[in-house]
Amino acid sequence: MLIPCPFCGERSESEFIYGGPVGADRPDPNTVSDAEWVEYLTVAPNPLGPVHERWWHARGCGEWLAIWRDTRTHDIVEAPDDSK
Amino acid sequence: MTQSNRHASGGRIDRGQPLRFAFNGKSYEGFEGDTLASALVANGVRVTARSFKYHRPRGIVGHGPEEPATLVELEGEDASGNRPATTIPLREGLRARSVNCWPSPEFDLGGVNQLLGRFIPAGFYYKTFKWPNWHLFEPSIRKAAGLAAAPNNPPSSGHFEARHAHTDVLIAGAGPAGLQAALEAGRAGKRVFLADEGTEAGGSLLNRNLTINGQPAMGWVDDAVQELREMTNVTHLQKATVWAYREHNLLIVNERNPEQDRIIERSWRVRAGEVIIATGATERAMVFSNNDRPGVMLASSVQAYVNRWGVTPGKRLVLFTNNNSVYAVASDLVATGIRVEAILDSRATVPQATLDMVPGLSVHASTVVGDVRGRKGVKAAKAVSATGVESWIECDVLAHSGGWNPTVHLWSQSRSSLQFDERLAAFLPDQAAQNCTAIGAAAGHLALDQIIEGGEDLAYEIEPLWRVDLPDQRGKAFLDIQNDVSVSDVHLALREGYDNVEHVKRYTTGGMGIDQGKTGNINIIGTVAMQKGVPLQEVGTTTFRSPYTPVSFGAIGGLREGSVLFPYRHTPVTQWNEDNGAVMYEAGARWRRPGYFPDQGEGLQEAVNRECRAVREGVGVYDGSPLGTFELKGRDVPQFLDFVYSNVMSSLTPGNGRYGLMLSDDGLILDDGVVFRLDDHRWLVSTSTGHADAMNQHMEKLLQTEFPDWQVMITTVTSQWNNATICGPRARDVMQALGTDIDLSPEAFPFMSFRDGTVAGFPARVVRVSFTGELSFEVNVAPRHMAALWDKVLEAGEPFGILPVGSESSHVLRVEKGFLSLGHEVDGTADAYDLGMGWVMSKKKTDYLGKRSILLRREGASTRRELVGILPDDPNKQVPEGAPLTPGGRKEATEGLVTACVWSVVNDRWVGLALLQGGHGRHGETAHVRLKDEVIPVKITKPVFHDPDGNLLRS
Amino acid sequence: MSYDVEIVRQGLNALFDLKGKPAAIQSWAGDVLPTWPERPNSRSGQDAVELYHIGRNHWIARAALDQEVKLGEHLRPTDCPADISIVQVSDTLTFFRVTGPHADEVMSIACPLDFHETEFSEDAVTYSELFSLKALVMRCKGGFEFAVEQSFGDMVEDYLSRATA
Ligand SMILES: [Zn+2]
Repeated sequence: MLIPCPFCGERSESEFIYGGPVGADRPDPNTVSDAEWVEYLTVAPNPLGPVHERWWHARGCGEWLAIWRDTRTHDIVEAPDDSK
Repeated sequence: MTQSNRHASGGRIDRGQPLRFAFNGKSYEGFEGDTLASALVANGVRVTARSFKYHRPRGIVGHGPEEPATLVELEGEDASGNRPATTIPLREGLRARSVNCWPSPEFDLGGVNQLLGRFIPAGFYYKTFKWPNWHLFEPSIRKAAGLAAAPNNPPSSGHFEARHAHTDVLIAGAGPAGLQAALEAGRAGKRVFLADEGTEAGGSLLNRNLTINGQPAMGWVDDAVQELREMTNVTHLQKATVWAYREHNLLIVNERNPEQDRIIERSWRVRAGEVIIATGATERAMVFSNNDRPGVMLASSVQAYVNRWGVTPGKRLVLFTNNNSVYAVASDLVATGIRVEAILDSRATVPQATLDMVPGLSVHASTVVGDVRGRKGVKAAKAVSATGVESWIECDVLAHSGGWNPTVHLWSQSRSSLQFDERLAAFLPDQAAQNCTAIGAAAGHLALDQIIEGGEDLAYEIEPLWRVDLPDQRGKAFLDIQNDVSVSDVHLALREGYDNVEHVKRYTTGGMGIDQGKTGNINIIGTVAMQKGVPLQEVGTTTFRSPYTPVSFGAIGGLREGSVLFPYRHTPVTQWNEDNGAVMYEAGARWRRPGYFPDQGEGLQEAVNRECRAVREGVGVYDGSPLGTFELKGRDVPQFLDFVYSNVMSSLTPGNGRYGLMLSDDGLILDDGVVFRLDDHRWLVSTSTGHADAMNQHMEKLLQTEFPDWQVMITTVTSQWNNATICGPRARDVMQALGTDIDLSPEAFPFMSFRDGTVAGFPARVVRVSFTGELSFEVNVAPRHMAALWDKVLEAGEPFGILPVGSESSHVLRVEKGFLSLGHEVDGTADAYDLGMGWVMSKKKTDYLGKRSILLRREGASTRRELVGILPDDPNKQVPEGAPLTPGGRKEATEGLVTACVWSVVNDRWVGLALLQGGHGRHGETAHVRLKDEVIPVKITKPVFHDPDGNLLRS
Repeated sequence: MSYDVEIVRQGLNALFDLKGKPAAIQSWAGDVLPTWPERPNSRSGQDAVELYHIGRNHWIARAALDQEVKLGEHLRPTDCPADISIVQVSDTLTFFRVTGPHADEVMSIACPLDFHETEFSEDAVTYSELFSLKALVMRCKGGFEFAVEQSFGDMVEDYLSRATA
């Protein structure tokens, strides 16, 4: 894949490390219910189709970025806001 | 007589360059320009292989990568297995052997399978050789199910290479369409990457006698190649197969024997702006009884052998077709003086223009081949007319053509769609999924005049015949010659309910061979369609997957072999370690470290005991450089560290440090390490060696995604600081002998603090941490000074008996102290409380990573596996690390495991650590290690065997 | 040798890692640093100090090793304000030069970047992947220069000698 980095532009996927899907925001652990906390920790989005996920430009500029990637085709259907 | 089938002239071979080669131990001669297959044909070798399942005799069928029958194993310098004989350029001294047979294809002991043939239908293996008895069948099946064995040794000279390339246009195939596209793109100034699998450009034109504007077509090819050679923006490779089309227009090309000495194969990973697929078309087989006899060949291959290699596969040929292309073949044969006994055409009406090409030949319309005689070589073909009239025609080669398939493998790999075209009776490229186009024959333009202006060719017309279907048919009719899949196998699969084409493929293994069913898959689809009474479009194709043709692992791996198979890291002391006889191995994060330093004739245990004794009784030194080290800067570092560590770090004052645990938010231990505060806004975080990269990722992810407004900047300084850690009761003496401006007294320089100064004349940061339990000074210097510092430490330590200490001893020393090791005690289930480290879990902080999860998990009354020490009842009994503990040593569910067991020099016995169910409350009891052949009783103790109060490390 | 290249493993350089907002770093560093490089992954240089813009709010200043002390005295890593980070990292990187007619071919074995002159300009400098390691890559006279984490230096030398064997 070619992954769009907001700083570097499109780069080979071998420069990146996968950082998992973007999940829900971290709830306040002091007010949330047990069930909600477990849900937050364990339920990761895994759609057939576009998934919002993070990548780390580890062998590049060090940027953490989020893209929408179609899991069926690897098409990057939405790049980070400020990438070229 | 050698080369009895070779013509006196003609063909693209060099008769001035004879080449000797060996096939199944016999010696033959061919010419430069031959393939192994054309040289075998030249020498009249008819039986070249045995089939996979039934061990039927087989001959050469095709002339290129479509070859389904003749696979060979190369021996000697170019040792490799399962190579189609048609794709191996002949060279002097080549040695090849047929696969699937022993001792030879002529006399094959495995041939008895033929007699059992009717007992080995599709799915036989799945139904018969299965659990629980698979292990009984496996060894003999592995032996009998023989394609070639992997070579025992890599090729003796040269190496493989993998490289990247970038291009505006990648063109797969240098036939007429590909060459023309390359010329156009090249002239437009684009970067062009043209790759073709053949030894020379021209594609189908190499095999045929066609003209362009009245001139031989190969003249046009030569001109095109010459023009491309002069363009600096064009890379033109031959012997280079585009074998994979991946997402985002990444294509992988395998180049064999490039014009560069020492490179055996090169793998190109090409990123292309645009892809042009000009891969031509592949002739498909006809399906009739005994269509696998040696001498039953593809018509276009017969044509290629005659025209390109100047050889005749036979003296009397019968041709069998359902389309026009065979008539050009017959015309070429007649022109070469070869006798064509008959053309059998399954169509009711043969077009007049076609007939005009073969004046005087006997053409039988509405006629099919019903059977073939001749087990080790065709002797006669049975012609059967529409009215059922049968006649045997004697011949030695039966050339057949079931029509043409555009070679859509790459197109399909790109996820682009296919559409069945009724007129061409073939699947054609339809909607592109990436930036790619199919042109030429790959797009269904099967005649040269459709591709090149001025090209002259016979129009292509076909009436599909997916299989010959006669009453009382006898003998197997093969759909997939390589995997011995016949029509009856497909019928069986359908009867048993496997009616999806993907299921048919897996159940029958049709199309799963090395040739990937290039000549036969379409007939499987046709057979399924006929049986189900639906159009082919509805049946569809199976998924085309890479590789298009076999690729060696060497080419994929590239340079990764020998010493660079895996990455490795050195410290400035690595050379010293090697010079001083250290046994080196990887110890996390790719660092090559000394395991131990044996004296002459010493084994591991003796060396480790000696090193440990030095640390416990005198002094030792180890190279601690690989520890992950990060400098953190900014106003928000304190709150950040309080969030990522379970204990409080923000209260540290400059010059002091604290041990801590980093947890993930689900409460697992990610890492343990030490944090130092350098000054108000600068901090130093050290992580374990193996987790340095992961901790960097963890911290950066939090900062960039969760706390983008926090002012924290991280700089990796692992390699800006190396250290020699001097440890043992005499460590302070050695420091003094080295010379330092730092006050080393415990009052001025207590445990868990650091001081900047000079040591042995080098600028240094000295840190008082201890991973051994002894008084320790970690002397950090810039790597440029490390080797010199190391020498000085050993020199200054000599009067005190200093010894270098390897990672084996470090392990013993930390186990004696009950210090944790990630991957041993910290195994992804244990939490800080289980490890007796509840003190590291802050009660004061309202939130930190992992807090909520650990509270949640510890609610309720479930007992947990807790860290304990173990002392085998027999002090001389070693317990293997990882061994299970079971209640009473009985065959029951485990209640824990041994995480470490070492010979303790201070206790003069084996001691160990274990995670044990409810272990904290069981000190003094006996637990039982259960092994395969014995039960070892061990006493449960506190997990510390040396200086339990930690007085020594603080001294 | 199947490739006509010269490979040189260099000695240490003076290197300082700079992080923070450009204005804050500039106001601290004053005129010791060259004109700020404008585009991401580009470099600028004057008076023998080069500046590489290799990440968001991230630069590396590079000079000859004999400038290290002087540069350090100007940049004062331990004294700079909280909102910028300056760390001496001279020892963390090992630099190599690959020069000669086949320099770009050897680079393409190691690295997935497109080194065509239209894609990788004279003033380009960027982190990328080289023999699967993180590496700082740029052009130099007659070829390319790159740096890997110092501890991988021996391995990269090993790799390069295999690639050009
Ligand atoms: Zn980037």
